[in-house]
Amino acid sequence: MTKNGTSRRNVLRSGAGVAAAGVLAAPMVHAQGTAGSLRFAFWDHWVPGGNDALKELATKWGEQKRVTVSLDFINTTGNQLQLTAAAQAQSRSGHDGISLTPWDVGAYSDKLEPVDDVIGRLVGKYGPINPVAEFLCKHGGKWRGVPATSGTQNKPACVRFDLMLEHAGIDVRAMWPANNTRGPGADNWTWETFVTAAEKCHKAGFSFGLPMGQFSDAVDWVGALFAGYGAHITDATGKPTIRGNAKLKTAIELGVRLSRFLPSDVWAWDDASNNRALISGRSALVFNPPSAWAVAKRDAPQVAEKCWTIPMPAGPEGRFLAYLPFTTGVWAFGRNKTAAKEFLEFITQRENAEAITNKSGGYDIPPFASMTDFKVWETTSPPVGTIFNYPLKPHHQARTSIAFEPAPAELASQMYIQALNTKVIARVAQGGETVDQAMAWLEREINNMRRG
Amino acid sequence: MAPDSSAAVAPARPPAARPPSNAMKRFARRRSTIAFLMTLPLISVIAGLVAWPASYAIYLATLNRRMTAFIGLENFDILLDNETFRAVIWQSCFFAITAVLLKALIGFWLAHMLHHLPTKGQRKWRGMLLVPWVIPPALSTLGWWWMFDPSYSSINYLLNAIGGPSIPWLGSPWWARISVIIVNVWYGAPFFMIMYLAALKSVPEQLYEAAAIDGASGWQGLRHITLPMMQNIISITVLFSLIVTFANYDIVRVLTNGGPRDLTQVFASYAFQVGVLSGNIPRGAAVSLFMFPLLAFIAYFVLKGVNQRNKEMA
Amino acid sequence: MSAASMVPGLGRRVGSLRSERRWALITAYVSLIIAAIVMLAPPLYMLLTSLKTSAEIADLGGNPWLIRTPTLENYTALLGNEMFRGFFINSILVTVMVVIVTMVISVLAAFALARMKFWGSQVLATGVFLTYLVPDTLLFIPLYQIVGGLGLLNSIWGLVLVYPTLTVPFCTWIMIGYFASIPKELDEAALIDGANWMQMLTRIFIPVALPGIIAATIFAFTVSWAAFVYPTAFITQPDSMPLTIGVVSQLIRGDTFAWGQLMAGALLAALPPVIVYAFLMDYYIAGLTAGATKG
Repeated sequence: MTKNGTSRRNVLRSGAGVAAAGVLAAPMVHAQGTAGSLRFAFWDHWVPGGNDALKELATKWGEQKRVTVSLDFINTTGNQLQLTAAAQAQSRSGHDGISLTPWDVGAYSDKLEPVDDVIGRLVGKYGPINPVAEFLCKHGGKWRGVPATSGTQNKPACVRFDLMLEHAGIDVRAMWPANNTRGPGADNWTWETFVTAAEKCHKAGFSFGLPMGQFSDAVDWVGALFAGYGAHITDATGKPTIRGNAKLKTAIELGVRLSRFLPSDVWAWDDASNNRALISGRSALVFNPPSAWAVAKRDAPQVAEKCWTIPMPAGPEGRFLAYLPFTTGVWAFGRNKTAAKEFLEFITQRENAEAITNKSGGYDIPPFASMTDFKVWETTSPPVGTIFNYPLKPHHQARTSIAFEPAPAELASQMYIQALNTKVIARVAQGGETVDQAMAWLEREINNMRRG
Repeated sequence: MAPDSSAAVAPARPPAARPPSNAMKRFARRRSTIAFLMTLPLISVIAGLVAWPASYAIYLATLNRRMTAFIGLENFDILLDNETFRAVIWQSCFFAITAVLLKALIGFWLAHMLHHLPTKGQRKWRGMLLVPWVIPPALSTLGWWWMFDPSYSSINYLLNAIGGPSIPWLGSPWWARISVIIVNVWYGAPFFMIMYLAALKSVPEQLYEAAAIDGASGWQGLRHITLPMMQNIISITVLFSLIVTFANYDIVRVLTNGGPRDLTQVFASYAFQVGVLSGNIPRGAAVSLFMFPLLAFIAYFVLKGVNQRNKEMA
Repeated sequence: MSAASMVPGLGRRVGSLRSERRWALITAYVSLIIAAIVMLAPPLYMLLTSLKTSAEIADLGGNPWLIRTPTLENYTALLGNEMFRGFFINSILVTVMVVIVTMVISVLAAFALARMKFWGSQVLATGVFLTYLVPDTLLFIPLYQIVGGLGLLNSIWGLVLVYPTLTVPFCTWIMIGYFASIPKELDEAALIDGANWMQMLTRIFIPVALPGIIAATIFAFTVSWAAFVYPTAFITQPDSMPLTIGVVSQLIRGDTFAWGQLMAGALLAALPPVIVYAFLMDYYIAGLTAGATKG
């Protein structure tokens, strides 16, 4: 067994493929005098080797506690993870705990075990938890899951600093240097500035690679844009606040204006299209976690060394950073809930969160503001400091956002999955409707979703 | 007819081989009992793995989002009230009907062309043309997707090389619809081809010769001999393909995920989006069931026709 | 039509028949060449991509239809990967078992439905086909409960259990058609010879309907080899994944695609069906033609 494991590992290393991640069978720790067993389904990390930290932590914790921990890593490609969660919630069987996509926590909240005690201890130790994570996890006054480190990402701008300087005259490295200070022009890094830069780069043949389709990358960045303009589509009860909403109209109009300077088929882009646009060297800017840069480092190093990650632009209502958090929930129908909660508490400890983030090459964002100073973000290169500004740092003067906040989870998850925010822009920019028509459509669509 | 013959046969059996039969054994030998036993595996598969889950799904479709209350047909009413869903109905029908027609025509044409070749040469052509049907569609669609990719499209490269423009294959609504159909036809046409080829081969050559002597043109031969002889196989393949195409999931999911603006969304992909991803399983079930009555209606008549012709043949 | 007018007419027609045949042959070849190019371009491009390094795939500089530095590393990486070989084995096991189960179920049922009219047989024959009306994207939720209840999640046996819902109806239909086309005199003769129903099936129907059985087998093979929705729903552990879902879930990592390996995996996954077709298609067509002349 061990022999197999090592040889497989070697093969994978030399195999140079992305296949390397997540392929190892789940680690099984057979402790003597076992105090039960735990099965977790975690999000299968996109970054090669990104699952290793969780596997190591599971082994370590399992040995300490004499619990047999087995981990499955389930991909969100083809929505397998969401499917598994749906099926398990329906059939009340399956893993003890499972990674949940942002809105699924709310969707299954009545089938998830409250974890307030765990959160209480963690907050006591590490300070305030991310408010978006709280919004997504807390239902009926109870925490229904532990915000995860693994898989949780920000989507700041990954900029080709050379192209941006040459064609738009913006020196992003001076503006957002790799230390905790704001450089010249940082205050002026707004969506208006952004549109101007997008136009200039578009004319030079290096259009920004911003997806406008129905995948999460698209919904997330448009969500941050809307948040920056204070453009809320519904209130906290889910009632549409669209009619006569001037802020929303301004945000949509900006989105429409911006979309004119994007490649013509962004309406069908998926989460990988922006990566490809960056790696192909044809794009001056994408909104993405460092995975795009990491692939470029492997396949197009000349592109990677010209990349610099900076915060998202600000709107009149502030600077918002697109944030896509995963949550680990413990099924209420699970058999070993206490152990499951203990394990989640264990992996959220600072040193363990840091181990997870390190293995993912800095991709993973822990849910605590006090954990945005890991070394990995300072040291990663080329160029050194390229992802220094990837986690949200105090000098960014920004907040994390998730699209469709503050709508209730049930409704928000439908709006999110059906990408209403990108669609309302697309109806104007691609479908030729007026902004008012598109907004009227949006209201009808939401009212329809609220029925039943 | 058959009962008579078995009754007539029974006494003819050598008495040594057949011990005197009691009522139980007679019953066990009865035709309908044997037939029932033979169909039992089929019945249990259908009852346990299709009918039961399907009725459960129908029940689900009558619940509210939280699955806490019975709301009857409300989900269907909500769906019909929704513009996106009305577009999905239109797109599904457009997609399925166009794709099936194209598959049937191309398959028929290719089968005919293959049939003209000398038997020796048919083999390699048949093999080559079957390749699309053989690659699992979930994987071959990825290949297509890669060929359609905006930055890396190899099809656009060829178009550019001959002076044509780059086409936003998946980005503009009509091209996206066409792309989805292209992939579906590419994958499905070989199946039609092989079914038709088999059917063509079973049409006795003498019939054509006789027709040719009677002065029938190729077209008349096609209309009066080939088509009637192939009617059953054509209706079954078309029906089957129509149903499967209406339920198609992987192609749309991989290529466009329903975009842009849900304009390529079909029932299955939309049901998945609404039901599983947005956590509204009852409404997703309602979407999936939407076409059931219409398709069942079509299927019933097609199959009735097939059965009738089978009976006439026998 | 009088005899006098018919004889010269016949001669003319034979001549025109010959030129008609030549034209038909030319049209046939032209159509087939065009069709072959269209049908084979995507697999060809997949093959080309699978032979490139990921750096070359990412490079937009050259003609994507050419390979500058061909490499087999995508294939060696996959074939050298124990997990990928596991996908292959799983796919083969599942498919073989499903084909066997399918053929047993559908041959028995088709025989009964085609030959032994009984109460409800007509309804059943039609009902079988109607099962396709319930899409798998709907069925997987209730089926998850059934499969889970039997403890068969993450097991290839779960797939063996549910795949027949995809294969059995169509195979039964093919078989009903073939059995129905077998002349009734054959069974009467068999009955007179003292054969029982089972012997009649195994000694007469199965040999005579072999082409149909092969056709149905091929169909069942293709469908279960390519099934996607059920394994997506029921299998989450790499060790029990069949190829389709294994390749997709392990080689696509959200926003990063290993295109070279993905294409290599797709082509390797297409290999067994290609082999099966290469061997069985001849029997299939030959058997059909033979059957037709007999009939």
